[in-house]
Amino acid sequence: MRTALGLARPVTGTIERRPGLRLAYVPQQSALDAIFPISVLDYVLMGLQGLGNVTLVRRGVYLETARRALAEAGATAFERRQLRDLSGGQRQRVLMARALCTDADLVCLDEPTNALDAASEQEILALIERLRTRRGAAVVMVTHLVEDGLERADRALLLDRDHGVALAATSAAMRAAPEFQHIYGRFVGRHGHGA
Amino acid sequence: MNPDSINPAAWSELWANLAIFKDAIWAAGLAGALLGFIGVHVVLRRMVFASSAIAQAAALGVALSFWVPALIDPIGHAAGHAAGPMAHLLPSPLFEPVLWAIAASLLATLVFIANPVRLHLTRESMLGFVFLVSGAGAVIVGDKITQESHDLAAILFGSAVVVQTIDLYLVSAATVVLLGGHLFLWRALIFVGYDPMGARVQRMPVRALNAFLFVSVGLAVALCTRALGALPVFAFSVLPAMTALAFTSRIGLVFVLATLVGAFSGVAGFAVSFRAELPVGATQSATGAVLLTAALLWRVVMAQRDRRRARNQPPPVSAGSAGLTTSAASERASTASAPRTDAA
Repeated sequence: MRTALGLARPVTGTIERRPGLRLAYVPQQSALDAIFPISVLDYVLMGLQGLGNVTLVRRGVYLETARRALAEAGATAFERRQLRDLSGGQRQRVLMARALCTDADLVCLDEPTNALDAASEQEILALIERLRTRRGAAVVMVTHLVEDGLERADRALLLDRDHGVALAATSAAMRAAPEFQHIYGRFVGRHGHGA
Repeated sequence: MNPDSINPAAWSELWANLAIFKDAIWAAGLAGALLGFIGVHVVLRRMVFASSAIAQAAALGVALSFWVPALIDPIGHAAGHAAGPMAHLLPSPLFEPVLWAIAASLLATLVFIANPVRLHLTRESMLGFVFLVSGAGAVIVGDKITQESHDLAAILFGSAVVVQTIDLYLVSAATVVLLGGHLFLWRALIFVGYDPMGARVQRMPVRALNAFLFVSVGLAVALCTRALGALPVFAFSVLPAMTALAFTSRIGLVFVLATLVGAFSGVAGFAVSFRAELPVGATQSATGAVLLTAALLWRVVMAQRDRRRARNQPPPVSAGSAGLTTSAASERASTASAPRTDAA
């Protein structure tokens, strides 16, 4: 994911990127330092910073966009609260609001459902689905929720260092792949999706 | 301080001699304001010993500015000593101690700009490395220049009772330029410090912003150390930011408070040291520490008040009766009971 985002050089080959492609990155919650006193609104406003708008000097101009994104993520109620004071589910919605705010073409999410309860998990997955359908953004998501991931994804990439597997396929083909069956066959297909 | 013990005559004496001390008071106030503002980034990025390490690097630079001329021209240097206390100094501005202090400080900041993660090291450990190398270097080089040890000590630790006019000009210029830059870039610097990966993905100039921060820390610390001394400079770059962070969770207000607390610590510390005949730098540092202690006590009292209020609130409506999902109900309850000390 770091390579795709342009943060690391590819080991081999090259990455081609359409000029003007807008990227957004949703970090793991644990990557955010709780010592920083960052309000929810300020965090979402960060999504509007970047080359050409480094300083965010005219903050007021962007407030409406940030508030729209918060509303879409269902996070308006805690706009004035500190990000560090929110529950895991609330915080993940705010992280998603920042991604919505960027209006990106490609959104990369690093384990967005990590450490969430089942209800929050489903809410976040629904928000990700909305990113795809309403905004038309391509979504790349790292997840350990294999079943949920395959259910929603068009294509999947299975990376497993322990078994020496790197396999890219459509979701349907992935389910049928012997490598996938060997690693995850015991755990998926409980709802009739298995090969 | 007990108000009963204040002698009005002594305070009036300070007022009467303001012309003598005004440069030192201005320098202390400006340095406190500048370092207080920059210190917010230093504290939030967990590099509170950066200013201490850079001050050590400045010390090494000053020591080298004395030692290198003696190394280049030992005979002329010895003859100069025989001729008089200042005659041995080379007339070249290249050996001006302040310039060497700034150069060494900026060199030290290069270590912080480099990404230590690639070396499997933390930034904190690199700070320790700079501190130890600079400290050991200053002691070793200082041992070689015993004739100038008095000059060296004066430059390293300053004498904030009376500040040279040139030092006040340098601190003033640094305050205008660096504080102006920081006021313009504070949101960008916060973004880059808080979420560096997100900032890089959004094509923020992360390396340039970090370079600006570290170079401004290096310059501010080097110039203020020359004028005020190492101890108050370290105190101003840490204590006001901690005080402001204890008082409020509004990031903009944190910067304003840290600037004001830094300036107040410098000026009030000077006045108290004059009245009580105490060492200036130590008194300014102690003033900052007293303000921080008060802020922490206030924080504890506020936290207890919030806990009491939360206990006295009626329990949230059960999820089933409200017709909500479990997580939505618990999050709404959490929103209702949270302390409101965090306005945007």
